Amino acid sequence: METVALTIDGKSVTVEKGKTVLQAAIESGIKVPYYCYHPGLGIDGSCRVCLVKIEKMPKLQVSCSVVAAEGMVVQTETPEVVQARAGVFEFLLINHPLDCPVCDKGGECPLQDFSYAFGPKGSRMEFARRVFDGEGVRADVDFGPTLMLNRNRCILCTRCVRFMRDVDGDAQIGIADRGYGSEIATFKEEGVHSLLSGNLMDVCPVGAITTREYRFKSRPWDNPTAVDTICTLCEKGCNTTVWLKAKPEWAKGAQLARITPRYNPEVNGYWMCDIGRFRLAWIESEARLSQPLVREGNDAQTATTWDHALDTLKRLVGAHGSEHLRFLLSAHASHEEMFALSRLARQLLGDRAQQSCTVSWAASVKSQPEHTTFSVPPIDAPNVAGARLLGLTSVPVGEAEPDLSALRAAVEAGEVRVLYVLDPGPSGSLGDTAWIVDARQSGRIASLVLQGVLESPLAAAADVVLPGACFVEKEACYTNGQGRLQATARAIPPPGQALDDCSIIVRVAAALGRPLDYRSAADIRADIAATRSDEPGLQGIADMAFAQPVATHHWLEASNPMERWKWDVMFQDLPPVKFEEMLKK
Amino acid sequence: MSFHPQMPYGEGWHRSQRRVPPDGPPFAFTPENLARLEDICSHYPPEQRKSAIIAALYLVQEQQGYITGNAMQHVAGVIGCAPAQVEDVVSYYVMFFTRPVGTYVVQVCRTLSCALRGAERVTEALCRHLHVSPGETTPDGMFTVVEFECLGACDRAPVIMVNNEHWHECQDPDKVTELVDALRSDGVAALSGCHLVKER
Ligand code: SF4
Ligand code: SF4
Ligand code: FES
Ligand code: FES
Repeated sequence: METVALTIDGKSVTVEKGKTVLQAAIESGIKVPYYCYHPGLGIDGSCRVCLVKIEKMPKLQVSCSVVAAEGMVVQTETPEVVQARAGVFEFLLINHPLDCPVCDKGGECPLQDFSYAFGPKGSRMEFARRVFDGEGVRADVDFGPTLMLNRNRCILCTRCVRFMRDVDGDAQIGIADRGYGSEIATFKEEGVHSLLSGNLMDVCPVGAITTREYRFKSRPWDNPTAVDTICTLCEKGCNTTVWLKAKPEWAKGAQLARITPRYNPEVNGYWMCDIGRFRLAWIESEARLSQPLVREGNDAQTATTWDHALDTLKRLVGAHGSEHLRFLLSAHASHEEMFALSRLARQLLGDRAQQSCTVSWAASVKSQPEHTTFSVPPIDAPNVAGARLLGLTSVPVGEAEPDLSALRAAVEAGEVRVLYVLDPGPSGSLGDTAWIVDARQSGRIASLVLQGVLESPLAAAADVVLPGACFVEKEACYTNGQGRLQATARAIPPPGQALDDCSIIVRVAAALGRPLDYRSAADIRADIAATRSDEPGLQGIADMAFAQPVATHHWLEASNPMERWKWDVMFQDLPPVKFEEMLKK
Repeated sequence: MSFHPQMPYGEGWHRSQRRVPPDGPPFAFTPENLARLEDICSHYPPEQRKSAIIAALYLVQEQQGYITGNAMQHVAGVIGCAPAQVEDVVSYYVMFFTRPVGTYVVQVCRTLSCALRGAERVTEALCRHLHVSPGETTPDGMFTVVEFECLGACDRAPVIMVNNEHWHECQDPDKVTELVDALRSDGVAALSGCHLVKER
């Protein structure tokens, strides 16, 4: 790597050749504000707040657009720079409504933070602020099915415009009436229709673009805890952070406030799709299975205890003989669950274990612009590649649909007496299940056992329902479509009496008289490592680290947590104190 | 609240200027215009086809007189960009009209040199005489008054341009009535023309 050395504020800094002065400053922890620059969106040079003094250059320079050169001497704190920067901030706030108390971004807003740190004490503006409310026009408008746009707050950094053009691939946002009338607009006010629209809220450095899903739901300081995890709604496996709202036990409503992307250059960059971001209501919904359920004869299902449910399961399997037992796994099951269940199958069925397990998932082709740089894969499950590594499915790479033909044929032939379904995913994650319900009702399957998380027709048809945990409620490993081993973290507990799926499988095994010698999921991972150490997609599974909940306090103090990658670099000595010295001045 | 003694500063400027382009009648380039556009596009590398956007929009105006939502969509399809980007361009340039214009589009320069030499007075006098506001067309469909940006004839400020080609230099606000009447009777021959062309 070729490097250049320069001096910023008397500190010598070495960066990769080709980086800009702003990037050099960020990397070395020197505080230079910026809005229009975003590492995922490149350089625009329109906001002018990143001004610095570079020796031998007559005028102040916008550091985001100047490539660092050998021997450059950069000043970010001379009176000239400080004053010019404060002037830019004064201009930025000329028309800004400063409605922070009712703004969703308030508390994690770069405009707030940088204005406090670098802006002037007050404004000299005497004229009316520019507003978009007027005859036939509203400032706060619908911006497509997922977003709201408040043009009053916009500082015209064009990050949203560039996101749609460069990342989404369909430039739906433009600037209308450029000049003193500039405003963010979509053609015919149609709003943004994109699978990546939620990212616009992240890139917008002010509260101009907000999501309907999160709007007015929580404030940054109401989310004191965050957990780094991954999204499991498709095989991409975007790295994410889930935010937990502080609320008393008895308070209604979800604890999971929102899911935001976490930077990972290998997987998702800075982005995630709307499916992963907005599909979270089911996790803490009323439709969650929270108690074991058992059906006796043709009666309705009744809630029961774990012991009784496992007894019933034992009785059903005993009555039909374990050789007629089949397993249907959703590809939402983690490595641990798949591996434990297949070991149980081996203990029960011996050589025929391999054929007795089938993996299913849902697939849907997403309609995205041709030139998108963030494509969402068609497989809607996190662990299809994992199932392949564990030898549970023979569907080749590149094939989106699962292969259920063998299981269906066996069911049609009446060979399956007991079907054990494991599905810790959201509704629809097994694909079509109507045929299973039908087979159970017509008696082709004598007994149906469901280990799952959500009420569904399948759960309603089951004889035994074992409530499990979904991806934010357990520590589990998955291999994504690229063959990357990743892990979820435990952010919230499973509802009611629901249990971690691995421990359910261990209990089931014990109840069926074939105990598995696992005391925890870690034991299962060690076993996978011991038996499958040759698979690159499973490498390191025994030492997988799981993120723990962390206090978000310092991110909030540091500024926009959406841009945490930046603060993690800037403040090596966490917890940082936000520009403390500057505030004192 | 005004920098200017007679023109109130900011009225309307603090409101959204946005006007969602109406769909208008269905639009498609005529085969001749399409061929002309393809010829212009061929001057650019294929992946930069959209560079021909200004030319395409001029063609729309030539064909239909003004640019509608349907036309924007058509242009976007032909040159390969998003409709929002076409609207971005249309709403920026003063020479693109989103509503029908009159026979004579009187474009008064309002940029610095002309402004200093009293272009605002010219606009005011024109509007008073024709009973319209800037951007509007007279009911008889004869005149549209538009405020324009620098026409590049700053040394003869204030400058007026009619229908994108005909100049009138050194306009005096007091002679606006005469100019309008002359335009009505003699057409563009009434204009002074561009001194550079004349002196050439
Ligand atoms: S809406 Fe937000 S991201 Fe878009 S230009 Fe305005 S401030 Fe920037
Ligand atoms: S692309 Fe896939 S993994 Fe990423 S957020 Fe969307 S659903 Fe989740
Ligand atoms: S960050 Fe440099 S001009 Fe906006
Ligand atoms: S300022 Fe009017 S022509 Fe240049």
